[in-house]
Amino acid sequence: MISVVLDVVGGLLLVIGLGLMTIALIGVLRMPGTYSKLHAQSLATGPGVCCVLASSVATENAGTISYAAVGIVFTVLTAPVASHAIARAARRRGAEAEPR
Amino acid sequence: MNALVAVPALIWVTVLVVVGGLALLRGQDVLQRLIALDLLAVLVVALLALLSYLRDVPHYLDAAVALALLSLVATVATARYLATGGPLE
Repeated sequence: MISVVLDVVGGLLLVIGLGLMTIALIGVLRMPGTYSKLHAQSLATGPGVCCVLASSVATENAGTISYAAVGIVFTVLTAPVASHAIARAARRRGAEAEPR
Repeated sequence: MNALVAVPALIWVTVLVVVGGLALLRGQDVLQRLIALDLLAVLVVALLALLSYLRDVPHYLDAAVALALLSLVATVATARYLATGGPLE
């Protein structure tokens, strides 16, 4: 019973994560301007990879779930730092806020 | 995890990595290429996680966390280097 529930939850999280990554990639390909691309990319580096790592509950393996939890904590802590550094560099280099 | 779920997900993430390389080539500015490179690192992290789920080996996630760490350091170092205008200023 619980195994089936974990399988369904893991599969749903995996589908959500892959969908977010696909949307982010389309955004990076199609959006004009640096800030818009950064906005689209943050969807994959934050929630997307967290969902894919959280789908490790379907494996029911303690080691895998522990490492995935470490990865989630690390991603939540560091993804905004990288995005902020890129946005700050864009502002210093004088990128325009309006899309070209 | 069921191979019926993990194998199509692996194929899909591989397709996303190829398209991410296209996004890397299409960047008009060095910062846009940096954004695409960060996205590629995240896609490879997802690829390693899926491989770990498929083969039921937790050690691939070690490599995934290490890659995320290296990607953060590379992104922040490059962004700060570009923000200050390079070594000639």
